Amino acid sequence: MAAETRIPESNPFVEIATHLFLEDIATKVGVSGLNNYLVSLAKNLANAMPREEYATWDEFLEALREGHSILATFEEVRPVTEHCMSTPRSPFERGWREYAKRVGAFAPVHREVAAYYNHKVRPAAVTSVHVVLHTFRDAAAARVRVGREPVRYEPVASAWVDGEVQMPEESKLEGLLKRGGITRTKLGMLLRNHADVWLLESA
Amino acid sequence: MIDVALASLIEDMIEKAGPDGVVEFWQRVGDNLASRMGKEAYLGWTSFNVAVRESRTAFSIEGEVTPLTDMAITDVDGDIVGYLYAMRQCCYVPTIFRTRFAVGRMSPADKIVTDEYNNNVHNIAVCNFCVFHERFREEIAKNITVSGNSLVCFLLATRGWSGEAKISSKNVAQVNINEDHMRALLRNYECVYALVMRGARIKGER
Repeated sequence: MAAETRIPESNPFVEIATHLFLEDIATKVGVSGLNNYLVSLAKNLANAMPREEYATWDEFLEALREGHSILATFEEVRPVTEHCMSTPRSPFERGWREYAKRVGAFAPVHREVAAYYNHKVRPAAVTSVHVVLHTFRDAAAARVRVGREPVRYEPVASAWVDGEVQMPEESKLEGLLKRGGITRTKLGMLLRNHADVWLLESA
Repeated sequence: MIDVALASLIEDMIEKAGPDGVVEFWQRVGDNLASRMGKEAYLGWTSFNVAVRESRTAFSIEGEVTPLTDMAITDVDGDIVGYLYAMRQCCYVPTIFRTRFAVGRMSPADKIVTDEYNNNVHNIAVCNFCVFHERFREEIAKNITVSGNSLVCFLLATRGWSGEAKISSKNVAQVNINEDHMRALLRNYECVYALVMRGARIKGER
């Protein structure tokens, strides 16, 4: 757990409070407004972090493995192939578990905003936190240069804590798997014990 | 990561609603969370303090809370009507360190909201999260009964990650605790509060 040994764990109470904060925003600005807030905060976070440059793709993969890249700040990243990455645990899992334990079922708006994001942006979110996660990875990848080329992020599949999986339609999925260098069977194996599967490529 | 992103959300909220708007917003979130956590009833202080120690009460959502059972608050008849409770670590400190490692520095929005609260509501906050936290505890206390009496929460003292300490003169007088005693507690704890039976006539209340 390279990333976790370097950065301390958050207190899940802060995450719970943030979820409530977002729910309160949603009552005022609606689902589309909340989506805009989530996208904005994830972009702001990535843009506040330092830029990175690597001489080679191998050096970049090593930084991801060791938790040195901004893309590995909040989660452990395990490269499966040169371009296919996996995340063993969602960085939001502890907060979600604590919310479910202490407060109860998540407010419906978290799923509603994910549905909005899937419809408007890309079919990659199960719940509101995925909007933050995908937007953050997207914006963070754009701040990384490998051999002077920017890096591009694309999600393949997200499995939420409750087991629900979100992935693009079959026709698009085939292309993503090919670019990632994994088969459909391998994807199924990864999703059994990983939270996310995603691609990083030179833009 | 959403805890680290929260600061940028607050920056955005300050632009839209001003620091006072963010304070109101945080307080409303405290009310909402407390209202979703349900009611609790305990036969007496012993059972409540055991529940706190075993992380079974609504207060336990904040993290590890220590009941300071050697520090009872008594009423004019000498009956125990409350205790002090303390957290070794402020809930927000891990987020501050995570921000340091991930971003580099804490957003100025944190201080803007903290100052707004200290100047206009209650001079006890050491970070923006205190704004939410104090209201949350006050509301939670209303939903808990000990020996049939609902509770009231007084936030007494806080210590921020940089070492800055705040003591609420108003609240320590309310529960008849000496400020020097508070300073001593702040050597070991970062957040100290009192839970007292609502309406109790506290001995020595100033």
